[in-house]
Amino acid sequence: MILSPRDQITTPQATVIVINFILGTGLLTLPRSSAEKAHTPDVWISVILGGVIAIIAGVIIVKLGQQFPKKTFYQYINEIVGKWVGGLLNLAIICYFLMTSGFQLRSMAEVIRYFLLQGTPTWAITMTFMWVSLYLIIGGINPIARLFEIILPLTVILFLVVSFMSIKIFEINNLRPVLGEGVIPVLKGVKTTALAFTGPEIMLLLIPFMNQPKKAVKAVLVGVSISLIFYVITVVMVIGALSVDGVAMRTWPTLDLIRSFEVSGLIFERFESLLLVVWIMQIFSTFTITYYAASLGLAQLSKKSIQPFMFGLLPILYIIAMIWKNVNDLFKFGDFIGNFALFLFGLLPLLLLIISRIKGGKYETIT
Amino acid sequence: MIMKDWISKINKTGKVTNNDKQEASTSQGTTGQFTDNFILNLEMVRQEIGHNWDVHFREFNLGRTGIRSIIIFVDGLSDKDLIDKHIMPSLMVDFSAEYKQNLPSFKEGISKEFIKNQVLSISDVEEVRSSKELASKVLTGSTALIIDGLLDAQILGTTKLKTRTIEEPVSEALVRGPRVGFTESLSDNTSFLRGSGEIENLSLVKFQVGKRSKKDLVVAYIKDIVDPELVQEIENRIKKIDIDNVPESGYVEQLIEDNYLSPFPQVQNTERPDRVIAALMEGRVAILLDGTPFALIAPVTLSMVLQSPEDYYERWIPGTFIRMLRYLAAILALFTPSLYIAFISFHSGLIPTKLAISIIGTRSGVPFPALIEALFMEISIEILREAGLRLPKPIGPAMGIVGGLIIGEAAVQAGIVSPVLVIVVALTAISSFSIPQYSTGFTLRILRFPAMLCAATFGLYGVILFFLFMASHLVKLKSFGVPYLSPAVPYRLSEWKDLMIRMPLMMMKRRPKMMHTKNPIRKG
Repeated sequence: MILSPRDQITTPQATVIVINFILGTGLLTLPRSSAEKAHTPDVWISVILGGVIAIIAGVIIVKLGQQFPKKTFYQYINEIVGKWVGGLLNLAIICYFLMTSGFQLRSMAEVIRYFLLQGTPTWAITMTFMWVSLYLIIGGINPIARLFEIILPLTVILFLVVSFMSIKIFEINNLRPVLGEGVIPVLKGVKTTALAFTGPEIMLLLIPFMNQPKKAVKAVLVGVSISLIFYVITVVMVIGALSVDGVAMRTWPTLDLIRSFEVSGLIFERFESLLLVVWIMQIFSTFTITYYAASLGLAQLSKKSIQPFMFGLLPILYIIAMIWKNVNDLFKFGDFIGNFALFLFGLLPLLLLIISRIKGGKYETIT
Repeated sequence: MIMKDWISKINKTGKVTNNDKQEASTSQGTTGQFTDNFILNLEMVRQEIGHNWDVHFREFNLGRTGIRSIIIFVDGLSDKDLIDKHIMPSLMVDFSAEYKQNLPSFKEGISKEFIKNQVLSISDVEEVRSSKELASKVLTGSTALIIDGLLDAQILGTTKLKTRTIEEPVSEALVRGPRVGFTESLSDNTSFLRGSGEIENLSLVKFQVGKRSKKDLVVAYIKDIVDPELVQEIENRIKKIDIDNVPESGYVEQLIEDNYLSPFPQVQNTERPDRVIAALMEGRVAILLDGTPFALIAPVTLSMVLQSPEDYYERWIPGTFIRMLRYLAAILALFTPSLYIAFISFHSGLIPTKLAISIIGTRSGVPFPALIEALFMEISIEILREAGLRLPKPIGPAMGIVGGLIIGEAAVQAGIVSPVLVIVVALTAISSFSIPQYSTGFTLRILRFPAMLCAATFGLYGVILFFLFMASHLVKLKSFGVPYLSPAVPYRLSEWKDLMIRMPLMMMKRRPKMMHTKNPIRKG
């Protein structure tokens, strides 16, 4: 009891990690990025379809991981495809986590600079953020999971409050007609929306930490579904209030929505500060888990202790975040990460699952 | 009862030293060992403790037989009443006739069995054989009786402890609940626990702490509830305490806590026996130290230090209300000044326009930035609090007047602070005082200063970062293996009925799971 035997997380904790990973920049940008692609008010259907795809991908990832319930992806990949290909794939995944981390960091800094701290240099914003995150991840997966458990209820409450405040300017006509332009535009948006659900891939690493690895599928299902509800509420509210054309023009449509109305009679008349609080915490959690995942990858790849990697990655993350000149570059980088993720976590796990099934029970004896 | 505990306690400690001494003396020869020479024995004792003015030597003629004897005691520590009424009369009454009846040859001297069995009308008697042992006994309040011709000195348990009367705890006031607080006497305190009715399974294990001034410390737990590993861990940590003197249980707390860098208390302290008993029933362990009314309870979680026993004594609806109020107060105490600073100096656009205008209007004459203004007020209120605490009681109210005038009126009129800030500071102070545990209120009051600095550097973002940093610290923190934020996280829905809200007692059927109790069922 005093010396906990191993870092272990419960199924709800795994679920919370998935949710907090998924919810990130998407909360603020998904309405725009999907509306840009689909150009119909039906993007909420795209969001749902995207969620379904994410669930399928997540389940495949879990099935793959459950073949090696004691190992992370970094450790079992070699057994499936051999040392060289496995090493390359590991590096690719570490890169992916690092890039996601850096992307989130920079988005956060941009939003803070735009909405809260106009005069503060970006380095000050990002560095303090990274230090707090470093302090957390040094404690390992357990503190991370617990902090996420604190963040999630705060997110849910504040987010729902803010969303339902905006019902005042919600216009149902902005969402009509349903499927007026047919199914094709909806499908066009699916790729973008599915990418907003990147997050289940963390299950590649989480399964060996879970105290009940068999329930990993449940964690993914619940996790993606809850995120799906968040995204659908966001998209419906934002498009309902600002209309598709209005949304496509704005960089951070969700924040603009919250800024566009005032509720008198309460302490605050404007609620963007509440939404920003929620959002910063969500970015923090996405950043933290990807940062941890990358450090874990390097540690397991080199079979050394994890802490030097955590410190060593700080400057690298900083460079990845600061290399982009402006928000547009940043978003292009985001798209690139998305495509990368599509390959890594959409196709690859299925392929690996098939290979490992074909090779059959060989691993059972090894593991 | 009290007397007996004390005597038995002294006996045990005596035995420990006895053994040590005997070993030491056998190895070094027979220094300090009593012989059959009365004068020599007396001289040894006098050398050992005779220079102390409070050690009294009273020589007399034993039972009018002409045998020289002496009693030695410490004025103030020993019960003079007992000595005068029970020991001296029985030793000085003429018992030669009776003695002759029992033993034909009176000339062989008096036997200790006779003294013990027929003369001394006192329950606690033991023998020592060296002046060193005798000295240690006498100096803890026993009376020594040396009789000419006997090798042993008799030690009579006459310790009288000066205890104060039982009073209501000052640091934890309740409207409803027992008006009983711990006192400085360990035996009184343990008797409170025994008196709770749990007799069979309440274990009170004694330790000694302090290398020079040996203090008794009792670890209390309920045998068939508590997790044995927890007891083991606590006992190990107590055994590791290596310090010359332990004046208060705060020393023990600081020497056994998990993380000395954390601002949060990881061991709970209380003056209330009812609170300790409730904790024992939850499977926690209490530590009582002699000489202080503050008992320690471990492990502790954040939700526990924000609770008051009254949450449970009142019906569940008021109990829940008070509890939620307290959580709100804790948040206010931590974040109100920093949010004020953040919104005034960085985001005045985010607060309602009218409010912003009025605040900025009242601040127009203030020459300082919001941080300095707030620090000025917060620090003066801390000084005021500290001064009010240290002042002699009759001057206390004067402090209130001075403070109220300075902070409420003059500072505003002089244009040093804005009236809104006065409200903020007052709200913070009141909130922090409403935390039932003094040490926790302290933590919150200290933490609001770094929060204010963060707010002054990074505005709202700084406050969020501060929150995340504090939360990161809290999720890592453990108190004796129990996560500090449990049962809030990791999620334990079944225990949330005693977290933010306090469900009706009939629904709380189990003991907290985080304590890994042997006997999880509390009711029904």
